[in-house]
This record gives sequence, structure tokens and C-alpha cells, in this order.
Amino acid sequence: MTKTLFEIVSRVMNIPIEKISDISGPDSIPEWDSFNMFVLLAEIEKEFGVNFSLEETLEIKTVGDFRKKSEVV
Amino acid sequence: MPDEEKLSSYLNRSKLVSNSNYEKKIRIAILGGFTLNGLEETMRVKCDEKKIQCTTYVSGYNQYNQEILDEKSHLYKFSPDITFLIIDCRNVFGELFLNPYSLSAEERKQFVQTKSDEIINLAKTLVKKSKSKLVLSNFSIPSYSPIGINETREEFGLHDMIRSLNQNIKIGLRLESKIFIYDLNSFVTKFGEDNVFSYKQFFYGDIRISLDYIPDLANELMGYVTAVLGLSKKCIVLDLDNTLWGGIVGEDGFEGIKLGDDPVGRSYVEFQHNLLALNQRGILLAINSKNNFDDAIQVIKEHPNMVLKEDNFACVRINWNDKLVNMKEISDELNIGLDSIVFVDDDPVNIEYVRSNLPEIGAIQMSADNCDNNSRHLQSISSLFNVLKITDEDKARNKMYLEQRKRTELKTQVGNLEDFLKQLNISVNIKNADGFTIPRISQLTLKTNQFNLTTRRYQEEDIRKFSQNSGKIVKCAQIEDKFGDNGITGVYIINKDNEQQWTIDTFLLSCRVIGRGAEDGILCHIIEKARRDGVSQVRGEYIKTKKNQPAENFFADFGFKKEGDFWIFDTKNQFKKPEYLVMS
Repeated sequence: MTKTLFEIVSRVMNIPIEKISDISGPDSIPEWDSFNMFVLLAEIEKEFGVNFSLEETLEIKTVGDFRKKSEVV
Repeated sequence: MPDEEKLSSYLNRSKLVSNSNYEKKIRIAILGGFTLNGLEETMRVKCDEKKIQCTTYVSGYNQYNQEILDEKSHLYKFSPDITFLIIDCRNVFGELFLNPYSLSAEERKQFVQTKSDEIINLAKTLVKKSKSKLVLSNFSIPSYSPIGINETREEFGLHDMIRSLNQNIKIGLRLESKIFIYDLNSFVTKFGEDNVFSYKQFFYGDIRISLDYIPDLANELMGYVTAVLGLSKKCIVLDLDNTLWGGIVGEDGFEGIKLGDDPVGRSYVEFQHNLLALNQRGILLAINSKNNFDDAIQVIKEHPNMVLKEDNFACVRINWNDKLVNMKEISDELNIGLDSIVFVDDDPVNIEYVRSNLPEIGAIQMSADNCDNNSRHLQSISSLFNVLKITDEDKARNKMYLEQRKRTELKTQVGNLEDFLKQLNISVNIKNADGFTIPRISQLTLKTNQFNLTTRRYQEEDIRKFSQNSGKIVKCAQIEDKFGDNGITGVYIINKDNEQQWTIDTFLLSCRVIGRGAEDGILCHIIEKARRDGVSQVRGEYIKTKKNQPAENFFADFGFKKEGDFWIFDTKNQFKKPEYLVMS
């Protein structure tokens, strides 16, 4: 699943997959603004059929957080 | 119809949209009562796909009132061609949306009346202060009610309030030529309230149309953009086997094809009904199919469950010729450009063949699942035909093309053009621009490509202004012959430069009446009028486009002399008037 998660981040943020790791976030990805982060969230939810609660959503700061918050991913 | 792409794909592609120098240009403003991020990017990509150069302006979050009321706002400085104002019930009702029954029924009625008036005034203000068209969304009726099953018993309940708001706005604005109501309520119904409105997105960022559905919304709004630019399609060219009926008539036989009383057959009957409805609103239908003519025409003429009859098809090509050759013949015979055609076929090879060789044609493949061949599927097709106004001419179009077919038959019988024209008993009736004719005059300037000397596109309000200007003459021509009435099919606009000189700003003739001498008749009429008014010369321009070659020699053939960019006619000179025309 790791690869797939990175693929989605790469596609949404429009950056090469090699540049993505679990610690990637707004500091390392300039495209990661609050709107794009939300686009990413919506597409991850749809792709994996998972749902992040509002509080979980607010706690997401990095790619790794997406993984931690979702057992499936 | 393929599913919409993801929003992220549009966001990324929007960065690559270069400011291409396309011929078609539009300035789009988006005003929202809530977060609409992504809509602007998606619209730009969709415009680029259609070779439209698009410049956009997005107002600040929930700033629509100030933007519209303040004459010095960024909105008016931007000077849009079209403005989308997307607001919802929460903008209008505020907290009352959540507890509407804190007011009495009488107070609720009063409230809706006040809000309706506010919105109507806001809309009218925008179009008064700018040249923009306005597309205003209506309001989605929520499924929820705080009083549950009693909602349908309550006097002027929450749902009635919203229905009434929608109805008031429609009635208050329906005669405004520059204002259009976008049916957002139907959009939400189509995709589902639970999908379109996500509480998480709403609480997170005041997103009230969820990100997944922004591309679908953009798609629907594009219908207005293409209509404003006059890019609407005019004709559906259809394959037969597995498109109008199930199975292959050449193999399965007249009785073996599926059309009617079985599950698959019903889907084709439904599809034909949908096509018939489009035909009745003015979309032409034609056939381009590889079949033995006799087999196929027997089905069309005699099959008891055929909904479409032979007379619904303006042009028929059932043969073993190359589909592209047929397509060009259809375009010639109907006098419409290839880019006005949509082609529907079940065979992916045919679709690809047409797409790669005639890319200007919109080629749509029938779904492999017959369930998709219905009005919902067709909705995506019918959006290609969106026009801002359906005129009486549109509704009568099919009849006119049938008459055209009969004229062509007469022409083949008579042989000599002059004799043919004499036998047609053509009469040309010149009419003023008035409330009845202005919509059609504008539509003709927007849609006519071939016999159009200057291809200047004018919106209804432009024509209305011209008609009130004493320095201009705006007229249209209704053309009739023994086979029927072609309706208003000619337009001319003249600028009276001074007492000595007139310039023809616009001169056009709808493609279905080209080549019958009406153009010469109308020009004679102009020259005679100029003479009577003591004007010594009439000037005209021919502005070449990719499509108006049929009009290229019009002035020269009539006797105009070229001087610089203009063609000049001295009104003292003699000219030949077509004798077979009756002018009135």
C-alpha cells in the first residue's frame, strides 16, 4: 500500500514520487497548502474507501499521518 | 459518458494551460457565497480543451454583494463576458436555514418575499452595471426538515420557502435577456445531496459543493460558455445497427433486431424517444451507416416500434461508402460545418476513425451497456446543443430541412438553375428589429459562419441597442418559397457614416437559403434604400475566416469595386435585380 499512497500524493501534489517519504509535508512540498492537502485527503478517502474524522483531518501534518490515521493505508 | 476526472488532475493541468492565442475568447468571473476553489482552474482547462482562450476572475470569499453593488469593484474592472454567481440557502437564510420554524408561516412568507426581491435586484444590478451575462444558481431543496414527516403538511414550510424562492427568482428574471438561472437544485438531485454536500468539507473549509463534484459542476457551467460563444452543435449523425436498434439488421433480419418488447429493445426505444425530443427542439438528425439500403430503410419505414420516422432525418446516407465521405456529404447537403456535428456509433473503430480524421466532429461512442443509452446518458450529449434561447425557428428547423430535401429533388428534375429558381416562387420579406425578431437576429450573428461577410458576433442586448440607434439600420429577412417558410434567415446591419456614405457592418444569410438569389435581392433593397435617402455610396467589407468562402465574391459579383479594405458601390450605377424574387 505504501507505493499506492505515495502515488496518490505524487499525482495530487504534482511532484516526482522519489521526493516523497512518510515525513513529507508542507515544509518539504511547497504545493502542500491547506486546500491541496484537503484535495489529497478527499482523493485518499475515495481511493481507499476510508473516512477520516474531522479531528483526525485536523491532525494530519505529513504523509505518514495519512498512513497512521488509517489502518488500511 | 466517461466519469469526470479527479479535481487534482484539473488543478495540475491548469498550471500547464498556456495563454494560447485561440480565436474564441471569453472572460469568466466567478462569485461564490462559499469556497469554490478548484472551479476556476477546472473551467480554464475545459476551455482550453475546446480551444477557447479563457481569462478568469474569482471574487474574494463571500464578497459577492460588495462586488456587485460597488461600481468600482474588481469585478467591474475585470469586465467579464459571463459571471457565475453561485450561492446557497445558508447565504440567504442564515441561521433560519437551521431553525425555520422560529418564525410563523406568515413571517416565513414575508421573509422569502424580501429575500427574493433582494436577489432579483442584485442580479439586475450586475447586468445593468456591466456588459456581462449573469448565470445565477438556484437553491437546492434539502431532504431534511426539523419537523420530519410533517414537513409536507406544514403551511409554507422550509421546503416551500426554498421552492418559492426558486420560483420567484425564475419569474422575476426569466425575461431578462442577460440573466440565466442555473438549476443547481437539479445538479444536487442528480448526484445526490449526501455526495455533493459533505459536512466534513463544510466544517473544514466552508466547502459546500464537495471537491469530487467540482469537475461535474464545471462541466455544466461550460454549457453556458459554449452557448455564449456560439459553439453549439446542430446535428446528430447516427449509426443504425446497435445504435438505433439492437442487433444487425443484415444478419438478424427485420424481425430479429431488438427494438421494443424485450429489455434490450426497450432501451433503444427509449433512446429513440430522447432523440425525437431533441429533434423537436431543433437538433437535426442524420444517418451515416454501413448497411444494405433496402434492409435498413425497411426497418425505418415499416418497423412497428421505430419511434423516429424517415421524416425525422434531414439527411440519410445508408451505403457501403467510407464513413468520412458520407460525413462530408451530410455536412454539404445540410450546409453545416463539420464542427456542428456530433457522431454517435457503437463501434469504437468507427469512432476512432472519425475522431482521428475529422477531429472537429464530436464523436461519441454508444455505451456497451444498453442501460446507459437513455436520457441521463444523453444529457451529456444534449449539453453540446445548449443555446441561450430556443427560438421558433429552432422548433421548426426539421420541417425546413425536409422542405430543403424536396427542393433538392426539384433542382435535379429541372436542371437549369434560373428555371429552378423561377419555379421556387421565392419571396423575401424585410422586417424590422423588434421584440420578436431581436433574439433571432442575435442568434444568426452568433451562429452563421458561411455566408457571413464580417462574422461579427452580437448578443441580444447589442442588437437591441443598435436598433434604437438612429445612426444604424438593423433589419432581417424572412424568406419563403413554394415548399414552405424558411423563417428569418437573413440579417443586415448598416452604419450610416454620414449623409453621403453607408457602411455594411453585417450581412449574412443562413446556410439553408444560400444560392437562391435572396442575397442579391437583399443587397438591391439596401442600395435602393440608400438611393432614396440620397446616399451616394455604400461600402462593405469581406473579412475572411476559415468558413466564409461562400461569401467571398459576393460584392465583386454584384458590381462593387475594391478600394483598400472596402468594397464600394456608387448608388448611381446600374445593377441587376433578380426578377424571380418577390421583395416586400
